[in-house]
Amino acid sequence: MSTAGKRILMAKTGLDGHWRGPTVVAKALRDAGFEVIMIGMARPEEVMQASIDEDVDLVGLNIGGHVDVAVRAIGMVRESRPEVPIFVGGVVPPHAKRKLEGLGVEVYPPGSQLPDIVAAAVRLTGAA
Amino acid sequence: MAVSQQSAQDTDQLLERARAGDRGALARLISVLERGGDAAACVERGLSSRGAAGYTVGITGAPGAGKSTLVNTLLGEALTDAGRVALLAVDPTSPLSRGALLGDRVRMHSHAASSQVFIRSMASRGQLGGLAVATRSARRLLEACGWPLILIETVGVGQVELDVASTTDTVVVVLNPGWGDEVQANKAGLMEVADIFVINKADKAGLQATRRDLESALASLPMERRPAIVETVATEGRGAADLWAAIASHREAITLSGELASRRQQQLRAELRGLIDARLEAELDQLFASGGADTQLEAVGGGALDMAAAGDALLRELCRRASAAIAG
Amino acid sequence: MNSNNGNGRVWNTASGLHLKNFYAPDDVPESHRKHVAVPPGESPFHRGAYPTGYRTKPWRIFQLSGFGKPEDENERIRFLLEQGETGFIMEHDRNTGDHCYNVDHPDVVARREDVGLTGAVMQSVRDIDICMKDLPLATSYGHAGGAVVQHAPFALAGYWTVAKQRGVDLARLPGTGQSDFFLTYLGCVTKQQIPTRDGLRFNADIMEFCDKHLPRWVPVSIAGYNGADTGLNAYQELGALFANAVEYLEEIKRRNTMPLENAARACGGVNFRASMDLFEEASKMRAARLMWQQLLERRYAITNPKVANLRIHCVTAGSRMTYQQPLNNIVRGTVMALAAALGGVQSLGVSGYDEALSIPSEHAHQMSVRIQQILQEETNIQAVTDPLGGSYYVETLTAELVERAWEFFDEIMEQGGFLASLDSGWLHERAAENQSEDFRQQESGEQVIIGVTDHKDDVSPFDVDGFMGVDDAYDVALERLHEVRRTRYEKGASQALGALESVCRDGENIMPAMMDALAAEVTLGEIGDVYRSVFGDWATPIQT
Ligand code: B12
Ligand SMILES: Nc1nc2c(ncn2[C@@H]2O[C@H](COP(=O)(O)OP(=O)(O)OP(=O)(O)O)[C@@H](O)[C@H]2O)c(=O)[nH]1
Ligand SMILES: [Mg+2]
Repeated sequence: MSTAGKRILMAKTGLDGHWRGPTVVAKALRDAGFEVIMIGMARPEEVMQASIDEDVDLVGLNIGGHVDVAVRAIGMVRESRPEVPIFVGGVVPPHAKRKLEGLGVEVYPPGSQLPDIVAAAVRLTGAA
Repeated sequence: MAVSQQSAQDTDQLLERARAGDRGALARLISVLERGGDAAACVERGLSSRGAAGYTVGITGAPGAGKSTLVNTLLGEALTDAGRVALLAVDPTSPLSRGALLGDRVRMHSHAASSQVFIRSMASRGQLGGLAVATRSARRLLEACGWPLILIETVGVGQVELDVASTTDTVVVVLNPGWGDEVQANKAGLMEVADIFVINKADKAGLQATRRDLESALASLPMERRPAIVETVATEGRGAADLWAAIASHREAITLSGELASRRQQQLRAELRGLIDARLEAELDQLFASGGADTQLEAVGGGALDMAAAGDALLRELCRRASAAIAG
Repeated sequence: MNSNNGNGRVWNTASGLHLKNFYAPDDVPESHRKHVAVPPGESPFHRGAYPTGYRTKPWRIFQLSGFGKPEDENERIRFLLEQGETGFIMEHDRNTGDHCYNVDHPDVVARREDVGLTGAVMQSVRDIDICMKDLPLATSYGHAGGAVVQHAPFALAGYWTVAKQRGVDLARLPGTGQSDFFLTYLGCVTKQQIPTRDGLRFNADIMEFCDKHLPRWVPVSIAGYNGADTGLNAYQELGALFANAVEYLEEIKRRNTMPLENAARACGGVNFRASMDLFEEASKMRAARLMWQQLLERRYAITNPKVANLRIHCVTAGSRMTYQQPLNNIVRGTVMALAAALGGVQSLGVSGYDEALSIPSEHAHQMSVRIQQILQEETNIQAVTDPLGGSYYVETLTAELVERAWEFFDEIMEQGGFLASLDSGWLHERAAENQSEDFRQQESGEQVIIGVTDHKDDVSPFDVDGFMGVDDAYDVALERLHEVRRTRYEKGASQALGALESVCRDGENIMPAMMDALAAEVTLGEIGDVYRSVFGDWATPIQT
């Protein structure tokens, strides 16, 4: 298997415009051979809809605000596509990280190195 | 290689669900088509009984011309008429990594969660024409699933893609002010494909000059075949209604004149050829990869066989394999 | 492990300027030497804005603060003032404020838990009044919020309206907003905002209005910080900041409604970032002062020393604050603050040690103040102005930064100017390529970040969990919104809103109508709706 043809959704759950994180991560994923579908700042239901219509293999969320908004998005994705793995990054303080990990979501907070994120994507999409 | 009973059953089931309105199934099937191979062929088979035929509009233009933004505002107009609209947004695959950044949806938030709108981002996956191989199949799938209107956004780099013309019923070419030179340079190509020209970003300097260049380029065409020119400011939604009206009137004109029927015929021809191309190519890849050409290669290398004879032999083998695959 | 202790290492500044082993008198460029002899407080000011420096005027301790309900924010501000902060900043909630939405906007409702996370929700003058309760408006230096261009007229008018209601004479009111293009046209691109040309109009309107009514107010503060923390390097930050200033000055010149000198003075309170390259950052502040003097003299023939001496507010680089081993950030904050102080800035904010986790907790905020107090009171740093002046190294670096920055300035001009470079996404590309380069260097080991790329074991017994904020900001804001709508004098509000809309369309100065609108208790979202219908939406050049 390889990353070719594997599709990853990249969304921002917050209404903050911090774009450096999601952009740099999306480029790294593209350079590793993934197709990255960017949807920008998206409401939970938009994240869910895109994860269905785009038939992605992995959902990536950049969290710029409150973790509970992301939790809602995760819940909606899980309901419609329970088999799709989810990984997140951005401003995720330790208490939020624990909460997300408790939901089975992988968390890549500030300072995460890009090769580690790419490796996670490879593993989670079964491209390894 | 024979298609396994299992996967045939799966795709049939998916198709049934997709036809019944299950978007998840529809999305899955597009992925199947994108991956190609036997499963894709299987889907193709299921599409034979073509459902209520839809109408397809292609929107092409240089990177950043504002196609997605335009589509976003056009969707509003189109929805009132058609009720439901599907969009295939094709972006280029990076030749180095084979990955892609598909960013068209970012511009389409107005309809992001609507049940009346289906948006699918597709990477061109190495296809030079600007359209993903699977785009044509996806269009047929969407039609079969009852989507009455299908928009296809695709990037035209340098010369506008002829590919779009062979896949869509009305072709909209998006230009920007200040592109007089480009218009002149690609005159022939543009005139061949475009049914409607949009000068988007009409809020920017150079609008009049571009319009003039465009009009003079089109002057040689007979009046009735001259594409409409529509000015838009997609970011403000200006001109969207005009564009939609131009699309509707083009549709009406080609329907009445019978041109639509001949276009469809051409589309089928292109589609069929494309399909066979793809399958033969896959078979050929397989032939070489599996070592099926090794004997001939060695013989040619050793001087025992000439190229032409080797080619004949391999072509025969290819045909044999291809028909075996169909028989299986 | 990193290999950068080896012999092959190339030594550069953070912005990539090549560094020598040591510097000698000959290294200082000929053209720069004459400046070195000029004392601080004299043109071209690179050695300092004032001759007596921090002896007579310690830098202002000025921390970004705010969250939750207006009363939560008020409490935090008063805490900071008690701790020794010498100015205060009122942060507005970004979901509502930056977008000019009320809390019942669908995009806000969809993210209701977010509301109040990074600033207090202030939808009408009543909320602003609560936030300003008992604050020393007349004696301290207030930042009214409104860092985002489209939000600034509302935030400023709100602050001024409350001040007026409290009997403060606006003609004597000190303070600032920010109304900065770097923040949301480059850095944090909002989901919706007015086009840049309309933003420019807002800022020029604010400048004119302050010129007439609030002479002690700093109407706009160009924030290179926001550009730098988005990825611009030191000389790009300088070049872009002055290209922005030119945009303002040209607009005022075109309008010819106030003396250009006043406009230049209004633009001369700027904001820079202080990052970790200690000497480059200190040199940058010196370079900035020199460039401002040069710009005004060469381009506008302005030499009035009161105008040509740049005043700098500085913020330490949030992006250098790490999530891992957060207490290390106290050291980073100290070093960056030192760079700013050595560069002679007038005002300083130090990012919290929990910067990468959340907005600052009370303790992190206190530490940011303490760092500055320790520097001011215990290091004797305030005794001598421009302590680095005359250093061969620092003078050379200063001169080199000036040169590179003017080159970058010229590049922006070739793009059609600062706003054009934002509209086209050109400046975003510059920031993004530096960002990618940073990551590349972290991977290759050329860039070391302690606790992140190297030395990752953490034995700290202190759990830093990030600030939790409050959880009733949304509910209370919604209630208050309904209450304003229910209890305000509706006819007055709708008249004021109508008048604001006409002014927006006609092109008259927006501020008088905005003052009336605030006084009539028009709400933020209503004003935003007017903007959206009159100005439309900026054609965002980037896809995130
Ligand atoms: C730089 C910066 C800015 C820049 C903009 C940068 C940009 N364009 O992205 C500027 C200066 C403009 C800015 C402005 C503001 N900022 Co700011 N900013 C930062 C800062 C310092 C660094 C962010 C950054 O770019 N890091 C570099 C990138 C590459 O890292 P990253 O985004 O974390 O991404 C990494 C990982 O998280 C992960 N990752 C990220 N996304 C994803 C997605 C997936 C799927 C995966 C797997 C991984 C992943 O991988 C990346 C690589 O390691 C952070 C604090 C910090 N140190 O993190 C505050 C911070 C994010 N900002 C904050 C705030 C409050 C603001 C302002 C509101 C302040 C103000 N009023 O001026 C404004 C925002 C206005 C608005 N409308 O939103 C807060 C947010 C608080 C919160 N959410 O609780 C923070 C945390 C600072 C703080 N402590 O207050 N900011
Ligand atoms: N000024 C102006 N900008 C526009 C207009 N339409 C689109 N844009 C801007 O042009 C840029 C590109 O818009 P997109 O809609 O992404 O263009 P695109 O053709 O789909 O781009 P690709 O899919 O990347 O090829 C964005 O910054 C838009 O906001 C317009 O009418 N006027
Ligand atoms: Mg597009």
